[in-house]
Amino acid sequence: MKNKISTLPLAVSRKIVLAGLCGGMLAAAPNAFSANWLMLQGTEKPGIAPPVKLWGFIQPTYQKDFSSAYNGKYVPPKLIGPNLDTQSSFNIMRARIGVRGAPFSLDDKINYFVLTEFGDNAMTDGGRYGSYRPVVTDASVTLNYIKGARVRLGLFKYPGAEEGLAGLAGLNYINYTDVTNQMLLERFPDAGDKNIPPQSTPDANMNAFSKPATGFRDVGVQVFDAFDVGKWEHTYAVMLGNGSGVQLSDGNASKDVYLYWSSAYLFDKKNKGPMSPSVKMFSWYQSGKRTNAYNTTQEQDRKRYGAGVTYLKKPYRVTAEYMWGKGMIYQGANNPQTMFNDYKANGGYIEGGWFIPNTKWELDLRYDRYQRNVDLPTQTRFSTWTAGVQYHFTPKTRVTLDYAARHYSSDAVAQNNQLQDVGGRLALQVTAVF
Amino acid sequence: MIRFRQKIVITALLLGLMGTAPSVMANPAAEPVSQAVQDKPFAVARVALQISDGSGEKQQLVLNVANNLIKFYGADKVDVEVVAFGAGLRLLFKDNALGDQIQSLASEGVRFSACGNTIDAMAKKLGHPPELAPEARIVPAGIVRLVELNKAGFFVSRP
Repeated sequence: MKNKISTLPLAVSRKIVLAGLCGGMLAAAPNAFSANWLMLQGTEKPGIAPPVKLWGFIQPTYQKDFSSAYNGKYVPPKLIGPNLDTQSSFNIMRARIGVRGAPFSLDDKINYFVLTEFGDNAMTDGGRYGSYRPVVTDASVTLNYIKGARVRLGLFKYPGAEEGLAGLAGLNYINYTDVTNQMLLERFPDAGDKNIPPQSTPDANMNAFSKPATGFRDVGVQVFDAFDVGKWEHTYAVMLGNGSGVQLSDGNASKDVYLYWSSAYLFDKKNKGPMSPSVKMFSWYQSGKRTNAYNTTQEQDRKRYGAGVTYLKKPYRVTAEYMWGKGMIYQGANNPQTMFNDYKANGGYIEGGWFIPNTKWELDLRYDRYQRNVDLPTQTRFSTWTAGVQYHFTPKTRVTLDYAARHYSSDAVAQNNQLQDVGGRLALQVTAVF
Repeated sequence: MIRFRQKIVITALLLGLMGTAPSVMANPAAEPVSQAVQDKPFAVARVALQISDGSGEKQQLVLNVANNLIKFYGADKVDVEVVAFGAGLRLLFKDNALGDQIQSLASEGVRFSACGNTIDAMAKKLGHPPELAPEARIVPAGIVRLVELNKAGFFVSRP
C-alpha cells in the first residue's frame, strides 16, 4: 500500500519537518520551575516527572581575606572556613549530587528528593575536632493526595528565611549574610568542644564544632501547599521537626515548630521559573528547645522569626529581609560553651541586582547588618557591603566575583580589639549545575 | 432528631472522603475519522502526532510541534490530532502540568485521542481508570486510530 506521506505536496512536507525541528529546539529549553521554593523543592510536576532524575552542582571557590591580626593573633572572621587555618584558600564549597522524581509514573502523587553533600563546608567538616565526612542533606517523600495539604516527610529544608530556603538559583552571593550565617545557620556544640582563644597564623585551626551545621534543614513532617488566586500565588507551610539539622538523631523530646506564609504577585503567570517576574512577600516563625551540651539537665528556648519581600523583573532584582532571634545566639566558632544562652539578636539585609541588558553580565550589591547580645555589655555589631559581578556562561553555569567590606565592632573591649581589624574579603566561585 | 443529625454528619463525612478519592468521569468517545475531518474543511495539511513515550521532554515536544503547525498554517488551515497510547497517555492525565497548553491547543481545534486499550491496562494496575483531561476523547486503540488517520490523508509523525 502506498504511503500517504507521498501524496502530500513537497512544500507541505517541508513545512511539517520545519515545524518539527522548531518544536525540538523549544523542547530542549530548560524546564521552568516556580520560584516558590517550597513547591520547587518539595514537589514534582504532575504527569511529566521522571521516575529518576539525576542532578547536582559543583562550586569550586577561592577566597582571600585581607584582615589584620591583633597582637599577632587571629579570630575566625579573619580566616577562611570551614577549616579556619588560613587567610587564602581554594575550596570546593559545595559538591552535591542527588536524585528526585515520581517513582510510579501512573500515579505520580508520590514524589521523592535525595541529595548528598561532598563539598567542604560547615555541614561536612568539623574542623579541629571532627573530620571531613560527606552527609545526606535531603531525603524526603512528598504525598500529594490531599488538595491544599501536601505532606512532606523526612530530611529537607525547613520553611523559613529566603536566604536559607532559596535554591541555587537564588544564591547570588558566595557567602551568606552575617545574620543568616550567625543567627539562622545553627551549630551544635558537643560537650567535648572546647573554647579556643585567638591563635597565631598559620596554625589557627579554630573550628570547634564536631557536629554538622544545620544547612537550614531538619528531620520532620511538613504540611504545605500553594494556591493560585488570579495573578496571586499564596503559599503556606506548617512543620514539626527534631531541631537537629542534618543529624539523624534528636537532641531532646521537644519538637521544633515552623510556620510560613508567602503571597506572590506574578507579573507573568506563564513564566514560573526561578527568574519568574514577581513580587513576593513572606513571613516565617520558628520555635524549639535545645539541650545544654555541657549540662543536659538544662533546656533553652530558641526562637526565630522574620519577614521580607523579593522583587524580580528583569533587568532588576531587589530583596529585603529582616529577622529576630532569642535564645541560642551564636557567639562564634571559638566559643562553643557560650552558645547556650538566652540572648537576643536581630538583623537584615537589602540587596539588588542589575542584569545588564543584551549581555551575560549581572551586577550585584548587598548591605547586611546584624547585632547580637542586644542590650548586653557584650553587644556586638556586624555590617557588610558586598559588591559582586556575575557572568552567566549559560543558564546553568556562571562565575561569581564578590568583594565584601566588613565593619565589625563590640561593646566588650576584648572582643572589639579582635573585631576592629576585620577587613575585606575577596571571593571567586564557579557554579556548574548538571 | 439526634439520629437525623448523626445521619447528616455521617453523610457529610462520607462526602468529604469521596472528595479526596479520585472521581472517575468517563471521557466521551472520539468521533470517527471520516466525521472528524469535517471540522477543518479548509485544511491544507493534516497531521497526526503520536505520543507513546511518557517523558516530560517528549510530551512537551509533541505540544510544541502541534503549536508550531498552528502558528505556521493558521488554525483553520491545518488539522492536527494528537494520539496518545502506552506510556504517552500520561500527557492526557487530568493533572498534567502541561494541561494549560493542551487546553489552549484544543481551543485552536487540535484533537487529543486517548487509547482505550491503554486505559484498560492502566486501570488494572491502578485499580481504577486514570483520570483524563477534559479535552481527551477515547478511541478503541491508539495504533488503529493512527492507521485510520493515515488512510484519510494524515501525515503521521512521532516527534
